[in-house]
Amino acid sequence: MALRLTVNGETHSLDIEADTPLLWVLRDELGLPGTKFGCGAGLCGACTVHLNGEPVRSCSTPVEMAENGEVTTIEGLGSGDRLHALQQAWIDHGVPQCGYCQSGQIMSAAHLLATNPSPGRDEIVAAMTGNLCRCGTYSRIVAAVESVVAGEKPAQEEA
Amino acid sequence: MAMNRRDFLKVGAGASGSLMLSLSLPGCAGLPTGYEEETGEWRPDAWLEITRDDRIYFTLARVEMGQGTYTGLTTLIAEELDVAPEAIEPRFAPVADEYKNPLYKLQLTGGSTSLATSWEPLRTAGASAREMLIRAAAGVWRVDAAKCSASEGRVIHPNGIDSMRYGQLVELASKEILRGDVALKPAAEWKYIGKQNRRLDARAKSTGTAVYGIDVSLPDMVYAVITRSPRYGGKVQSFNGEEVRAMTGVLEVMEIDRGVAIVADKYWRARKAQDALKVQWDFSGALGLSTPEVFETYRKAADEDAGETERSEGDTESVLANADKVIEVEYSQPYLAHATLEPMNATAWYRKDHMEIWAPTQAPDLGRIAVARVTDLAPDEVTINTTFLGGGFGRRLTQDYIEEAAAVAFRMDRPVKVIWSREEDTRHDLYRPAMLHRMRAGLNNGELSGWDHQIVGPQILNWYVRNAGPAQFPWTPKFLYDTLGKVGVWAEGIATPKDISAIEGAIDYPYQVANIDIRHTHIDPGVPITWWRSVGYSHNGFAVETFMDELAHEAGQDPYRFRRRLLENEPRHREVLDRAARLGGWDTPVPEGRARGIALIRSFGTFVAQVVEAGVENGSIRVYKVAAAVDCGQVVNPAIVVDQIEGGILFGLTAALYGEITLEQGEVQQSNFHDYPLMRQYERPEVEVEIVDSTETPTGVGEPGVPPVIPALGNALFALTGKRQRTLPLKADA
Repeated sequence: MALRLTVNGETHSLDIEADTPLLWVLRDELGLPGTKFGCGAGLCGACTVHLNGEPVRSCSTPVEMAENGEVTTIEGLGSGDRLHALQQAWIDHGVPQCGYCQSGQIMSAAHLLATNPSPGRDEIVAAMTGNLCRCGTYSRIVAAVESVVAGEKPAQEEA
Repeated sequence: MAMNRRDFLKVGAGASGSLMLSLSLPGCAGLPTGYEEETGEWRPDAWLEITRDDRIYFTLARVEMGQGTYTGLTTLIAEELDVAPEAIEPRFAPVADEYKNPLYKLQLTGGSTSLATSWEPLRTAGASAREMLIRAAAGVWRVDAAKCSASEGRVIHPNGIDSMRYGQLVELASKEILRGDVALKPAAEWKYIGKQNRRLDARAKSTGTAVYGIDVSLPDMVYAVITRSPRYGGKVQSFNGEEVRAMTGVLEVMEIDRGVAIVADKYWRARKAQDALKVQWDFSGALGLSTPEVFETYRKAADEDAGETERSEGDTESVLANADKVIEVEYSQPYLAHATLEPMNATAWYRKDHMEIWAPTQAPDLGRIAVARVTDLAPDEVTINTTFLGGGFGRRLTQDYIEEAAAVAFRMDRPVKVIWSREEDTRHDLYRPAMLHRMRAGLNNGELSGWDHQIVGPQILNWYVRNAGPAQFPWTPKFLYDTLGKVGVWAEGIATPKDISAIEGAIDYPYQVANIDIRHTHIDPGVPITWWRSVGYSHNGFAVETFMDELAHEAGQDPYRFRRRLLENEPRHREVLDRAARLGGWDTPVPEGRARGIALIRSFGTFVAQVVEAGVENGSIRVYKVAAAVDCGQVVNPAIVVDQIEGGILFGLTAALYGEITLEQGEVQQSNFHDYPLMRQYERPEVEVEIVDSTETPTGVGEPGVPPVIPALGNALFALTGKRQRTLPLKADA
């Protein structure tokens, strides 16, 4: 069946089984591998994207649920060549180690700030608890989010 | 590793008259070096390439799995080359002798060895290239090279005004001949070492553009999933291949050594077809035991076999026979999975006598052997492209996932990507071995008089040598691979390094006791095992540092001071212990409902002491604070040191609180993060890391943060509850 969805502002028509998880559509059909496969069960958050502004686990979201919806992935989070403030904070704070979970972490943080521009520490921790990081970058994640909340200037402009 | 610079820099004129600078590591095949007129590229050695248009490439021979080689090793070469680390573009190394880890004679990343083994060679490579560039410029200017300098990718004229870009000089520099040692910068002149904090891979990893193995995409690529025996060692008897082959998108259903592979045009179609696959297994040669039997087997072995003596000082037996008090306890630890967040995967493409592999691997030269085993190709007909690794922790030292992709792709005419599910990743891991420890110690008037540690369990080499043996001799005919593997086991400690995976953390017991026996009873129940972040230290550290705590309490002494008094001849141990105690507020009152525990372990050359503050809240263990003091010699990147120690602490806490793989009749019972949980953001303790200023040769930090936190937490819980826990994971209601 043909299925329409808009990803990072671009509308696609796809001929794909309706139960295919959104994750594999993004990665393999649309060439957006920034969203990661971690557990396939909504337990780790590595596959987090925004669907109509809400964070969803794309590994366990059938693509039909995204039909006619607007999806934002890590690739579409910034605007054009400009990074999202969180991405810049991630770089400035040196958050990633292996980096595999970080797309999902950033997407969860971006949703938090979109709905609550000045969360406290506890709210940040609660919002980020669904995203696992095996390397243990949790403290840098909180510091990076807090720096954006505090409106800190990026340490260095990135091209 | 101590290596004289003169030993490994071999300088001579190449065939074309251009300069050849290569490593004289054993069996050096010689990658092309020198200047290429057509492309304008100058390769002074196996690592560096500088182009006419000022691009600088650095071949990174130690993979990046989060531990920071991408930044740390680039910083070493940048420092001596006099360019900013950001100006260098790292590239992942192909398989070549030049890139072998000199400690293992294999091209592998592990053992927290990357920085230590690169410290001299990479700085020397950078310095040599810089020196040749300076001499080339001095020749152009007709000035004394010693009066020229280099800065930010330029050679500066003695007048301090004129300069030439490196790119302008590459062709001339390639004709310079270096003799003897190249002077390395004194520490006072370092601009980046010890100061560089930014990670060079942070941008790619914050924008979703870093390419991991699972992200590799090739034209016409198809996907494969593999159904493996639920019990290790089971063989395929039959399967409903015809039925599955008829399903949407399925291209092939085939039996391979490791199970049944389904190849489909889309990953999800392969997964759905897998649900319909029914395999009859022959379990006659398969693992059938359950976890309790593992420990029964260990206890029986321990009773029957006192074990091989790995260290013996004084006369422990008679001292224990005459001690005022003998304390005798047993510790045990379960199997643990690695749980890298990127599941195992590999992409393989077979094209006419050549196999190309893309994979997140810690040991690409072993990957070639894995491919050779399941195809009719020789190792040199295999190209391995290494990607970023979404975590390694030792798991990706074993190349089973590459072997699978190669076996499938060899029978396909297009590229194949094999992706494991999380459940498969958990159930078909090679685990941190379950271990048992029998400890005895004697106390006379509160003084420790004797120490006896019997370690019971398998060693990892026997599992690893299967591909590691042939990888050291890749020209060997394939029918000898298994023999080489066996020879590797026999030659252990003679021709190959001794495998200390079972005994590290025990044989290096640092406390001053006149009578010590360390013994290893080797017993392998057949459960697949491999290295796991901090390896033997992860279990021996728990046994040794928990027992030290028990002895301190038996002797009526403070656990910190009990240790400290026995470290008079170990100043670096004592220093981190003192610092951790201070940082963790050891002598300050602890808040109500909490208690502190301390532990000290030197692993992989790095000294780490930790103080944990913990309590029990709503029936769960809660870790509030961890204070860590670290001595890893000269620091190259302070932020990465802090990150690795903190990450190691969280990795250790995950094991201490949750980590347990269990078997029931040979089947692993855990599958995903609901039953094999990892520490989450809300459970994160406050972590403070203090680094000792040092000019000693740098040692690794990837693993040493892990071991101390496990006993330190157990010791804190004892201080809180008065109940000693001698097995892991720790329980709130023990």
